[in-house]
Amino acid sequence: MSIAPRPAVHRRWLEPARIGAMSPLGGIVAYGLLGLWAAFVLFPLYWVVVTSLKLPVDVNTGPYFLPWVDFVPNLHAWRGLLVDDAGPTFRAYLNSIIIAFSSTVLCVLIGSMAAYALARIEYRPRLVSILIFVLALVGACVAVGVAGIDWRVATAVALALFVLLARALGRRFPGAVHNGDILFWIISQRILPPVVTIIPIYMMFQSVRLLDTHLALILAYTVVNLPIVVWLMYDFFTKIPIDLEESAQLDGASRFLIFFDIVLPLARPGLAATTLLVLILAWNEYVLALFLSTSRAQTMPILVAAMNAGEKGILWWTMSVVIIIMILPVILMALILQRFIARGVLLGAVKG
Amino acid sequence: MPSGRATSLTINRLNKYFGGNHVVKDLSLTVAPGEFLVLLGPSGCGKTTGLRMIAGLEAADSGEILLGDSDVTHVLPKYRDVAMVFQSYALYPHKTVAENIGFPLKVRGIDRATMERAVREAAAQVHMVDYLDRYPRQLSGGQRQRVALARAIIRRPAVFLMDEPLSNLDAKLRGYMRAELKHMQHALGVTTVYVTHDQVEAMTLAHRVAIMDHGVLQQIGTPREVYESPANLFVAGFMGAPPMNFVRGRIEQGRFVGPGVALPVAGEAGPRDAVLGFRPEDARVVAAGAGLFDATVFAAELTGDVTLVTLTLGEDTVAIKMPKEYEADFDSRVAVDFAPARGFLFDAASGARLPAHLVRAGAA
Repeated sequence: MSIAPRPAVHRRWLEPARIGAMSPLGGIVAYGLLGLWAAFVLFPLYWVVVTSLKLPVDVNTGPYFLPWVDFVPNLHAWRGLLVDDAGPTFRAYLNSIIIAFSSTVLCVLIGSMAAYALARIEYRPRLVSILIFVLALVGACVAVGVAGIDWRVATAVALALFVLLARALGRRFPGAVHNGDILFWIISQRILPPVVTIIPIYMMFQSVRLLDTHLALILAYTVVNLPIVVWLMYDFFTKIPIDLEESAQLDGASRFLIFFDIVLPLARPGLAATTLLVLILAWNEYVLALFLSTSRAQTMPILVAAMNAGEKGILWWTMSVVIIIMILPVILMALILQRFIARGVLLGAVKG
Repeated sequence: MPSGRATSLTINRLNKYFGGNHVVKDLSLTVAPGEFLVLLGPSGCGKTTGLRMIAGLEAADSGEILLGDSDVTHVLPKYRDVAMVFQSYALYPHKTVAENIGFPLKVRGIDRATMERAVREAAAQVHMVDYLDRYPRQLSGGQRQRVALARAIIRRPAVFLMDEPLSNLDAKLRGYMRAELKHMQHALGVTTVYVTHDQVEAMTLAHRVAIMDHGVLQQIGTPREVYESPANLFVAGFMGAPPMNFVRGRIEQGRFVGPGVALPVAGEAGPRDAVLGFRPEDARVVAAGAGLFDATVFAAELTGDVTLVTLTLGEDTVAIKMPKEYEADFDSRVAVDFAPARGFLFDAASGARLPAHLVRAGAA
């Protein structure tokens, strides 16, 4: 039995004109939906820009949509915030920049090194050793906090106990955790929102007198975002052909040189994407900043939120200006980094 | 540009396990200074693992590796003074050709002027001087191969390791690069260990060939020794294109008996299960009854320089190279003839070569 070929009837609206193209109807539907979505996403941005140019009277009697048509644009809100009342805004802006960029650099550096180690070195810590370590740590804390023993003594005793017990019990309980378990443990730190640990974090920074400093927020953001960096970069590192690193080893390079000279440049797309993500998270962070900063180290999100509760009511025009200057650096970074994100740097590495 | 410090390489009872897999079993061999040794075998035979142990990329579970007189079994790769060319070339894609070639010197902190001179010299040796500013992605497969070679030779290592370096090239380029490799190794005089599954590469390049199967070294010798005097069935069946023909049968009462075959044997009375082997180019197809045994024509293929005649003999098939003018009808009866000295006898159970040999019918 032979099967007759399908008659070649060209349905003009439902089928593409050539291979690899969209059918006309499909194109209309797809671009229609995309256009709707773009309008949905872009309108708030447009609204913020327009509002920043309005006088209070335009806002209160509105809504007006088109400058020069509906209302006369005015720079009074910009002048008010950036000239008359520049001090607090400028300080919060500077705080945000220092804290977000520092913590991002620190986080990406430490996180990618940890991720590389997990991707390329096999770790097998014994489960029982980890347990003993935690117990010894708890014991030392109790001894210092409750019994009032000198912390140096407690640490020394706990360390000695840990070494002795770990050696004694290690052989009898050979169960060990692997790199995958470690990786999961690290990412599991992000399952709970950071806010549940806010009280201990607050007390820790209080006891080392770092509250309301840049350093406190930089450290807090770095720790909170580390799991994300490790998780994302681990994936990028495992995709780099191991031949390149083996070749570099034979050429005489050390692990650190291989990491900084071969691996990091090749992981650049991942590095750029991760950096951008962590930067945005740090830039927009609110809860930790609320607890750890009171005045000197306040960041932009705190400033914006505070405007919601002024005694003069909500100054929409001023708030719009703040929001615009707040999103500018992130947009700038996204524009700079996106050049790296989509580029295939591995081309020509290992294929003939 | 002879390096003048060619080093010997000695491997003693090397073993490697991957989990429960014993992938290299008691490997022992010695490579003389300046020698070109080829490790040959099918994929999964342990040859690449052996090479990686020499490089230091895999740790040996037992045994020792000596470079010259020094034991390097537990030495990190970067201190071993070996250079390796990977099957994938492993060029750094974000570095130019010059930076790739110069990387081993850069790592050692050698000054810029010396490095540039050495890079040009190494590049000249592989004819890549005009491409120093290019990136690997802008090069063809053969050019990438040359860059990888230049990176290996620039620091004059004690030992060269090559892991199937030609297998990513097309057939024509492979033949050309093979000749170049051979010439360069001769010119540099560097001790070389070369891994391949291609027996033609092994035959043409090697001073000596080491054939491995299932982690075990089967035979080591010059290409001619390995080809003309195979130690066992595996070696005999691996070398040659097409490989040696095998006819299964028994040795009984001083005769090799197979399907339609009965030939006198000296040196072994039997009884034992045995395999008769002979090379396609050593035999001729003659008229039925005029040869050592009769067979049926299965197909005759003109390959260009020869006609390859495939014959069936019971359940076995044998291939014979005939002059290109030869023609035969399908299913016609013919006979196979070869000089009895050109026949090899193997033990069917162990595969080992038997000390027995065929003799002329009249002499038995």
